[in-house]
Formats: sequence, structure tokens, C-alpha cells
Amino acid sequence: MEQMPSCQQRPLAMNFVPLFPLLFGIFPEAPPPDFTSEVRPLLAKFCFKCHGPDDATRKGGLRLDLYSSATGPAKSGQRALVPNHPEQSEIIRRLLDEGSERMPPESTKLVLNQKQKDTLHRWIASGGEYRPHWSFVSPKPIKPPLVKESSWVKTPLDSFILAKLAAKAMAPAKPADPRTLIRRLSYDLIGLPPDPLWVAEFVKNPNDQAYERFVDKLLADPRYGERWARPWLDLARYADTNGYEKDRTRSIWPWRDWVVRSLNADMPFDKFTILQLAGDMIPGAGLDGAIATGFHRNTMLNEEGGIDPLEFRFHAMTDRVATTGTTWLGLTLGCAQCHSHKYDPVNHSEYYQIMAFLDNTDETNVELLSDDQRIQKARVLSEVGRLESGLSKAFPGDFSKALDSFVSKEKPMAKAWDISVPVRATSNEPKLRIQKSGAILADGDTTKNDLYEISFGPHTGGVTAFRLEALPDPDLPAGGPGMTWYEGPLGDFFLSEFAVEWDGAPVKFIRTSQTFANAWLGSGSSDASRAIDRDLQTGWATNGKQGSRSVAVFVPEKPLPPAKSWTVRMNFGRHYSASLGHFRISTTREPGNVEARQTPHWAEAALLAWPNPEPSDRQELISHFCQVAPELEKERKRIIDLKKSIPQGHKTMVMRERPADNPRLTRIRHRGEFLSPKNAVAPGLPGFLPGLSNNHNSNRLGFAQWLVSRDNPLTGRVLVNRHWAAFMGQGIVRTVDDFGLQGELPSHPELLDWLANQFVHDGWSVKKLHRLLVTSAVYRQSSTARPELALLDSDNRLFGRGPRHRLDAEMIRDGALEAAGILSKKQGGPGVFPPQPTSITTEGTYGALAWVPSTGEDRFRRTLYTFAKRTAPFAMAQAFDAPSGEACTARRDRSNTPLQALHLLNDPAQLEASRALADLLIKTSPKREFRLTMAFERILSRPPDPEEASLLFNFVVARQKEFQSNPVQALALLGKSAKDTPSDDLISEKAAWTSVARLLFNLDETLVKR
Amino acid sequence: MNGQMGQGIELARRTFLGKLGLGLGTAALASFGPVQAGGLADPLAPKKPHFVPKAKRVIHLFMTGAPSQLELFDPKPALTAMEGKPLPASVIKGQRYAFIRPDAAVMGPRFKFKKHGHSGAVLSEILPHTATIADELCIIRSMKTEQFNHAPAQLFLQTGFSQPGRPSIGSWALYGLGCETKNLPAFIVLSTGAGISGGSALWSSGFMPSVYSGTRLRNSGDPILHVGNPPGVDARLQRETLDLAGKLNQRRLALDGDPETASRIAAYEMAFRLQTSAPELLDFSDESKTTMEEYGCDPKQPSFARGCLMARRMIERGVRMVTIYNEGWDAHSDVVGNHQGNALKTDRACAALIRDLKSRGLLEDTLVIWGGEFGRTPMVESNPSLGRTQGRDHHPQAFTMWMAGGGIRSGMTYGATDDLGFHVVEKPVEIYDLQATILHLLGFNHERLTFAHAGRDFRLTDVHGKVIHDILA
Repeated sequence: MEQMPSCQQRPLAMNFVPLFPLLFGIFPEAPPPDFTSEVRPLLAKFCFKCHGPDDATRKGGLRLDLYSSATGPAKSGQRALVPNHPEQSEIIRRLLDEGSERMPPESTKLVLNQKQKDTLHRWIASGGEYRPHWSFVSPKPIKPPLVKESSWVKTPLDSFILAKLAAKAMAPAKPADPRTLIRRLSYDLIGLPPDPLWVAEFVKNPNDQAYERFVDKLLADPRYGERWARPWLDLARYADTNGYEKDRTRSIWPWRDWVVRSLNADMPFDKFTILQLAGDMIPGAGLDGAIATGFHRNTMLNEEGGIDPLEFRFHAMTDRVATTGTTWLGLTLGCAQCHSHKYDPVNHSEYYQIMAFLDNTDETNVELLSDDQRIQKARVLSEVGRLESGLSKAFPGDFSKALDSFVSKEKPMAKAWDISVPVRATSNEPKLRIQKSGAILADGDTTKNDLYEISFGPHTGGVTAFRLEALPDPDLPAGGPGMTWYEGPLGDFFLSEFAVEWDGAPVKFIRTSQTFANAWLGSGSSDASRAIDRDLQTGWATNGKQGSRSVAVFVPEKPLPPAKSWTVRMNFGRHYSASLGHFRISTTREPGNVEARQTPHWAEAALLAWPNPEPSDRQELISHFCQVAPELEKERKRIIDLKKSIPQGHKTMVMRERPADNPRLTRIRHRGEFLSPKNAVAPGLPGFLPGLSNNHNSNRLGFAQWLVSRDNPLTGRVLVNRHWAAFMGQGIVRTVDDFGLQGELPSHPELLDWLANQFVHDGWSVKKLHRLLVTSAVYRQSSTARPELALLDSDNRLFGRGPRHRLDAEMIRDGALEAAGILSKKQGGPGVFPPQPTSITTEGTYGALAWVPSTGEDRFRRTLYTFAKRTAPFAMAQAFDAPSGEACTARRDRSNTPLQALHLLNDPAQLEASRALADLLIKTSPKREFRLTMAFERILSRPPDPEEASLLFNFVVARQKEFQSNPVQALALLGKSAKDTPSDDLISEKAAWTSVARLLFNLDETLVKR
Repeated sequence: MNGQMGQGIELARRTFLGKLGLGLGTAALASFGPVQAGGLADPLAPKKPHFVPKAKRVIHLFMTGAPSQLELFDPKPALTAMEGKPLPASVIKGQRYAFIRPDAAVMGPRFKFKKHGHSGAVLSEILPHTATIADELCIIRSMKTEQFNHAPAQLFLQTGFSQPGRPSIGSWALYGLGCETKNLPAFIVLSTGAGISGGSALWSSGFMPSVYSGTRLRNSGDPILHVGNPPGVDARLQRETLDLAGKLNQRRLALDGDPETASRIAAYEMAFRLQTSAPELLDFSDESKTTMEEYGCDPKQPSFARGCLMARRMIERGVRMVTIYNEGWDAHSDVVGNHQGNALKTDRACAALIRDLKSRGLLEDTLVIWGGEFGRTPMVESNPSLGRTQGRDHHPQAFTMWMAGGGIRSGMTYGATDDLGFHVVEKPVEIYDLQATILHLLGFNHERLTFAHAGRDFRLTDVHGKVIHDILA
């Protein structure tokens, strides 16, 4: 690869220095090489693998990425680098060694050529100075260079481009013609072709003011957010399913819509960043702040039967670190998961310190209610409350008599239960919190094999039975009582064993009972007896009763005497994790047959104390009676029906910082393996970056704030570079995802820094950045090939012509629908299903999805809204290189394949656009000249030239004739059956114009931003 | 000085135009798939590997869901003796399982085994047809993997990584070797069983250019997506459309001078050719009745047998990598019924494929691989709460695969497991070793086949893998 010109501006005269020695026959004294562009790339390529940041693979105790180590004595005692003295420097001796001491060693198969050796020699001779890697140093204030042809310059950034072109004796390209430019601009800003009326207006007077008016119009267009959300979704690996085997549907589209809204509102990028990484931690950020944290909830979720949930959470965390690195820092942090980075100064433990910033979260959902829904919900709930409290009054007949008779029937069966308040509650994983009521609430992570150990102090009375109440709680999934949040039913639990140790001796149980038993999957029994059978595969479960209380009772072989202490041990879990989230343990001394009863604890107490119960217990009993009295069934049904009308909001996946007393420990994983945890680490930044300042907390929020602070040299540059690449075809740093030592150097470093500074100066406004880029003369150049550039700058690294490349998948599909006049303007909402062959999401896909094509306008929504299934992506978009949402994507491929041609030629969905455009043309004018011009202007933003027109007229005439003689074919092309034919003429005419539209949608020019 | 500059530009102009002309010519002749013209290299142009390959193409019969080695290839009488008892804890160590508890009872092999052929290969009674080609096979009893769930284990086998995002081995092969056929994609994927756990990431090119991705051949509708004309478009209209679009594109090329335009013209021509070659691939009328019977295949019904025959037709037409996913071996509940059924669907066709390749002289440079993503436990999976009785759970520590043809030593059984079939005790073959060996047979040093991405040179085998030289011919 051609070495890029040095970033440093060297005095011009230096270039002539070598000439004089040559004239006098003296060996030329070349200028000292530039460290950044010439020396470090050599060290990185040839030396860092063994003499770089990774201490696991470092040889001889020598680091050549650090001046101090390079100039200090290595293990051998030799100094690798002796400034100004190549002849004393071990590097040079070893480079030149022909024998076994040669560096790099024979085994690496790396060989430096003479020029490269010479570069290192000259570098050391000139002082062996190190410079920090360019991107790790904050951009300095920079003024645009002065240029001669200042009339070409429209924005400051043009001066940078022009200066470099001029230095190569090259001129910029002529401006793009107005139509081409406006089409380019429209696709770039809103992802769609421009309205032909706009083009016509602009062409009349294509001056700067008119152009800028269009820029502002497009920036204010609500479709702008839809276009620009897409690259952000690529980075965020957005999809509507969980990925992996089951690949079930998830609801996180409200986050996608939040992105669209935020971009349209030009939310400053610093705020945009902080909300997405830590919106839950910002006071007052509210629901929108929570929705924003969906960014890192876009990681995949493996729900395959029998996986280890914490292992896959760890994989999600490594994805979060890598994605954060790519998106904000332009660093390949993923490299340091297994060992210290070979090239960039991020070591193994620093990788886990970055992870620790992001790790301390619970992953949960929030419900989104519209204002109307919220009002409606409050209304229903208050009505429910009114009806419930009025139940006793609604009783048909004498309520107190009925209550008395209920009590006299129930009282004999009531048992006195004593709630046991634990002294300690621990588990292998979830945090168990003892409540004042004696109940235990669990939070935090769960495993497939959780063991709870609940310890109690002295028991003075003795025991004839133990009662376990599985209790609902609004914070648990589906209202509990279980903690299952994926793979199995929400809120499920599975108690595989229940054991009691009474003064150190195990208790043998002989009888169990329960109010309800049901397990998800499988046909075997799941009653409480399965929790004392010593088989961990069986157990008690109450799936189906989520959100309500269930009770199990365990009766020991013999009544137990008083004890000094006792312990309950419970095992939970199946092939998925299924632990109890809220429960309470009680004991009784009652003799006889004690069984599990649905009667709530305090209602039971009221029964026993009747006729003089505590007033609150009495109320409990009345409520209970109202819930079971047959006379009130009709009233209760009314309440149940009313509850069904509580509006359900859409859910979205969010992050929530864990409670301060239950932080998640982030551990270093040896070789990056989940099963090799090592010591825990605190959050921290890699040493080569300026650390968190005092006003940033060392947590997720502080990290997010640091990312977009002036202390961080990377984010601004990475961001402006990615946007530059989107408009100009390639980045100033072409490796948009790697600003580290292995990344390419910037072609225009001063320009990059100027843009980064300007971006921050403009309040991190992405719209201002876009405005700056598209109003530049650089952007407005013609993209037509320039023969004189083909040799000198075939890759357009100097930006001596306008951008030209294939449009993205979404732009191709949306553009066709827009040109055909059928693109829906509807924004937001759940994913939609434009037509595609059903086999794509059903055949050979484990998590099959019946792809039922949407109807009405949802058939023609922007591709952004197409339901994104990870294991079987929307085929059209995939063919045109849209990512699957399985990994962070900073740069899409732009392939050019026959499979794409098949899609555009033959996909029946594509044909719908051709038919619609034909309809529109025919409806608008009877004249073929007008029709053809209209089609061209809608698709290509220009009229046809005479030769094109004549070729296409011939085509349409011949085709129409053909279709007249073959109306069956014409009808088939129009997707119609024989009976709905108004007249043969119109059919053949429509079919002919459909053929024209289909042809135009397949032209190279249609598919290209030029 | 000025004169020199002028000459430079003139030279540039001529080179540029020359490239364009050349671009058109070469693009039109270029391989199927990605089309590049002008000065840009075709990423699928045929390339030479590191050394002369033994295998020019690969057919991978991926038995996803994971067949039981204990019912097919690796008999363990000791298990029968221990039936109903748990394995010693010292054997199990810390292994995690998907469904069973590690102390589950042992279950002996459910089928009889016999020696076959000159090589005396030991095979189960439910593989009578495979038995007839025993002497062609190299049976590896010492396979190991790191993953014990389907999707991660399948991804690991295909991409060297347990999560989506890395290039599949087929993509590595295309990246290294390019493509010989002009009429079909060079890396084709079929699915003949139930749904595949790993999804399209299994044949994705990951971070490599998308042109190296596998192309799905579908069982219903168009075999290749949209390879058929849409309703109302006949061959003539298609041709006329392409001719006129081509003419208009040529004019655009002349005006704008973008080599990608030439590539697109060529891509459309290739698409047109594919519209002929794909149906021809599926038209079995030129296959003899004997062949159809050998494979046991109904040409109209998608099946594993039809997939095998199609695989042979594909490699005859220059396709380099074929993967057939035959999902369905995941015998958690009833290993006997499951394996009898799967054997019935696959055994005959596997044998027919090997014989067919051999009789056509294709076996010697076609590598055939048979196997799943892991093995199954020596312990029974019996779970009343799930209604499971005679199943086996996922077992990553030991399983069996076989390979044949393309540089593999035939008539050999390699490696061994302990008496309980739990651990490999002899000549372990890790997934990375399998990948290194496949790449070796294709002519690559797996340590040197690298792709630069995200700041480092990636390998299929990461920093692992050794070629298993003992199984090479």
C-alpha cells in the first residue's frame, strides 16, 4: 500500500536538501523521518507483538511502544534505543544481524526491507524521539490554511482540501450539475430522492442561497431522523428478535423511535450519548431517559434450552465493551478481552475496568403508556378500587349474617401460623432482603441452580408444619412470585427441593399440600411433594398464577420440639433459572391435619380471634370473604372484566443501575473465558487516556460524561470522521472503526481536528455538522471520473472529486417506493412485514417466524421499520449489505452482485413499485414524452436525453404491441386476474409502462449516489 | 516540469481508459458473485492457496442437533454394565449440562455394533449403508468441543467463535481460493431437516466482504431467491429489459467513467445466466434411474437424499463449498426412535454420495465431512417434569465425526474415548484442529490465512489449531 504523505508540514526547502549531496557525490543526509507516519507504523508492524503493551507475550522485558522502556536497559542489559546513536542501539544491531539474533526472528516471517531499516536508523540518529499516537492527544486549535484559489472555498474545511490538492498540483473537480447535486443531497439527508418540484425550482436558479435553503429544508424534514437513525442502529446492533437459536421477538422499537425523534430534534450528541449509556441515572430524565438506555440492551439474548444465563450475560457485556469502543472511541477494545492488546495500550485488566463501568445494571423492561392510556388506567383503577371497597355493600341480602355463617364454617379449619422472621438470608447469587413483614424479597442475578439458605433464631414453641407462601410483587417479572425473566415464562419459579435443618438435624417430611401446582413444559406432577423427593429435576411450580399468592405446606414425620436455631434450604431452577423472588415462611404448632389454604395470613388470624379480631385483621377477612362469597360472583366478574380494560402500554428494554448495596462485581476473566474468573476490578479508564476528572463519578454515568468531555481526545474525531465518510464516500481516517495504532492515519489530520473542534464548538450539533459538510465545495464537486486523477489519486484520498458509491439497501427500496408515490409517511411503531417469500423466516430456521405480509400502508413503510429478525434477516436488505444486528457495524460493505440484480429484477415486491409508478404516469398524462420525463425525474431527478428517450420510446411501443397480443401476460405483470380487465388497451399500456419503470429501477444510475 | 506533468496526465488518461475497456471485458468474464471491474481486483478471482491442495472442494454433511456417538460409532459395553448407576464424580468433574444433572444414571448403547470392510470399522446396526463404504472413511472418535449449547457450538464449528459475527469456514475458503464457476455461487448452503439453531450467521462472511457469504438454496419457491422471473415477465421481456438497461448503463459508463458501472453491467448478465443455471441444477432428468435409487431420492421432494445428489451436481459445476444442514438429531427424549428415524433419512444417501463421487473420480479431490456440533451424554436424560425418559443430553467432551475423500486416509478409525465414552483418552481432536486440517487439505497453512479486521489479523483458528497429520492420506 502506498504510504500516505506525512502529516507534518515540512519546510518546502527540505525537499531539496538531498539534491546537493547527490550533486557532490556525497551520501544523502535525508531528513529525519516523521515518527507518527513513518516510524511508529514500522514498530507496530514488526515489533509490538513481542515488545508492545501485552505483558503476557512480551519478550526480554522490552517495550518498544514506550520511550522509557526502549531507552532503559532490557533484561539483557542492552539498551534498545540510544538516542542519536544508532551504532549503540540494540535495535539496529539486531535488525542488521544476519544470524540467530536477527529481529524480527525468522519464525515471524516478518522481514524489513532496506528502506524500512534505513528509516529506523535515521530516526535514532536524529534523536529517536517518540510522539504519542496522534489520536490519543486532544486536538489543538487549528486555523484553516490560506489558499490561493480562495474563490472555490465555501466553508473553512474546503481550504484544507484545496491546500493539499494544490500541494500535489491538482485542482478540485468542477461543481456537480444542479440536478445531480440535489439528488445527492436528498439521499444523503433524508435517504430519499428529492421531490421533482424541488429540483425544478432549484434548477431555475441554482445559486448558493437556493442550495442552502434546500439544505435547511431537508434538515428540518422529519424523514431526516429516519435516514440518520439507520447508521446509528447499525452501530447499536438493533434488531426486533433476541438472536441465537430461539430468536424470539423482543420489544425495543420504542428505543429505535427515540433515536429518530432525538435526531430530528438535533439533540446534542453529548446528551444523546449520556442518555443512551446512563439515562436511568440522570435525575429527571424520566421515561425518555429510561428508553434511551435501550442502546446497550440491543445485545443478543440466548434463550436456548439449558444455557448458562450468566455466561451469555458475560458475552453481552463483552459486546457492550467492544461496541462502546467502536462507536465512541474508535478503539478495538475487544482485542483486550483475552489478553492485553497487542498494539494499542489497553491491557487485560483495563479492559475489565472499562467493563466495570457498564456492568452494574439490572436488565429490565418499562411499560410505555400514552397520556390517554395513563388517564384511562387511572380511571379504571379508581373504579376498581371503588367497586372492591363497595363489595360488602353490594352483597345481596344480609352481609353480616352471611359473614357470620362463613366464619362459623371456616373457623374450625383455621390454623394459627406464626410468621418466622429470619435472622439471615443468603444465596449463591440473588440478594435476599429480609422485610419487616418477615417476607424475603430477592433481586440481582439468578442461575439455573440457586440455593437459598434462610436462618432463624430460637424457636420456642415447637412445630407441626411449615408453610411457604410464594408472594407476588409488582417489581418482579409478570408480578412474580418467581424471578424468571427469559427462556421460561416470566415470573415463574421452580422449587426443586425444600429442606429444613432443626437444631442441626435434617427434618424428614412425610406430607405436603399446596393451593396450586403447575409447571411449564412437561407432563409430570409438579406438586409440593416433588420438592421433598430429593430429585433436583422435579419440584413445585405455580406457572399460570403469576401475580398472585400460592401456598405450600410441609409436614414433618414427628412434631418438632423447641429449637435454638433452624435453617431452611431451598433449591431452585430447571433448564432455565427459576428462583423465588418474594416469599415468607411460617410455622404452626397446631395438631392434626394441617393443609395449605388460600386464606390470607391475616384473614386466618381474624378467623381464630373471632368475634374479637384486630380491626385490620377483620378488614382482611371481610376482603377475603368478598373474594370467595358465591353471592358476589357477578360483582367480582364485573371487576375482573373492568381490569381487562386497563390499557396495556408497549414495553421496551432498559437498563437500571443496581441498588447501592448489591453492586455487581466485575471480574477479570483469564484468557477472556467466563469459566476462569479472577480478581474483581473497579471501574477505570486505560492509563493512556486522561482519567475521569473530579466532577465525574466512577460509574456508568461518569463514564458516559467523560466520553463526551473535552478530556477525551477520541469521541469528537471518531464522530466527525464517521459522518464525513457517510457524505464523502470514505473517512479522513478510512478505518472508521479503528483510530488505534493499527488504524490508518488520517489523510487530512488538521482538517479532522478542525472539524472535531468545530463540532464541540457548535454544541455537538449533528445537524450543524451535516450542514457544514453538505455546504462545502468539496461535497458539491462533480463525481465524474477525472482521468488525470486516476493515476495520481485513484482512491480519491485527496477528495479531488465528489462522492460516488452504491446507495444503501434502505435507500434503494425506499427510493423506489417514493418514486412510485407509494412510500408511507407513517413514523414509528412496531416492526412491519413488507412482502417477501415466507421461506426466508420459516425454512431451516429454528426460531421460525411466519412472515405475514403487512397490508395497507404498512406494506410500503420505510425499510427502517421492517421487522429485523436476526437469524433470518429481511432478504432484500441483506442482499444489499445491511447488517443482521448480530454485531456492531461501523461501515457497511458496498458489494455489487448478481444476487442483488435478481432482487431488483425479479422480486414481486419490487414489481409493486413499478406498477404503481406506471399507474401514476398514465394517470398524470396521456403523452408518452411527459410520462417518460416524469419517470426519469422521479427516479433520477433529471429528464432523459434525446437518445435515452428514443430508445425507451421504441421499447414502450414494441412492448405495448407485444402485450396487446398477449393480454394474459400483461395481466400477470400487473398482478391482476382476467376478470378485472377494464379494456385491453389500458392493460397493455399499463403493462408496457410497468416494464419501463421496472427497467429504470434497475439502472446503474438509479442505484448510485453520484 | 510542465511538460512532464502533461505527459503524466496523458499517461494517466490512457491508463484510465485502458482500464475501463479492460474492465468491461474482464468483468463480463469474471467469476460469479461479486463483480469488480476497472482497476479493482475481483475479490472472487481464482487464487492459489499456500500449497498444492489435496481437496478442491468440500461437502459438509452437518448433522445438527448432535447425533449420539454411543448409538452410531463408539460402542461402550461398560456402560451397559453400569446401566442405572450414576457416573463417578471424578469422571464428571465440573462439566455443566443443558438439561440433566451431572449425577444422572448411565444408559448403555441402544444398538448392536459390528465390524465392517477390510478396515474393520465398527458401526452401529442402524447404519447398514454407511457400513458398505466403511473402507472409504476415516472415523474420528476423539472429537471435542468447548460449547454445550446448539447455536454456540454450531457457530464455533463453522466460524471458530461461539457467537455470531465471524466468517464461516466456507467464507474463509472463498476468500483464500476465489471462485471457479461463472454460473453458480461458489458456497452453497442447504437445509434438509428441521430449523437450524445457529441461523444465517453459520454461513455468513462475518466481518469479511459479503461476497464471501454462503448462498442459501431453498426448498420451496425459487431455489435461489428471485432466480425465477416475476409474474408477467417472460424470457424475452427479461432479455429485452437487460439489453436496453445494458445499453443505457454503457452510456452512463462512458459519461461518468465509474468502473462500478461496468461491474453492474456484468452482474446483471451473470444474474441472467444464473436464471438458466439454477433450474438446470435442479433438473434431475439427466440422472439415471439407478442413481436416483442409489440415493433413495424423490426429485420432487426436498430431502437429505436429494440434497446429497444436488451437492454432487453442484461440485460438478464448480461449486467449491457445499454445506447440508440436516437438523433433527437432538435426542433428549428418545434416542432410539430419534436415531432410527434420522438414520433412515440419511444413511443410504451418505453411502450413495461417497460411491457416486468415487465412480466419477471426484472423491479424490472432494472432502466429505459428516458430523454434529457435539456428542451426547453417556448418562440418560430422564426427566419426569419434562416427560423425558430415554434421551441423552448434550456432551461436548467426546463425539465422533467421519471424513472421506480429498486427501483423507481411508479405512481408518482415529482416537479413542474412555470405557464410559465420557472423555477422550487418545489423540484428541479439537474443533480448531478440525478446522486447521480442513484448511490444510484446501492448501492453506491455517496460521497464515488471515484477514485484517478491527486492528488485528484474524484467523479461523484464532491462536489455536494443529493439523492432524495422522489422518491425511
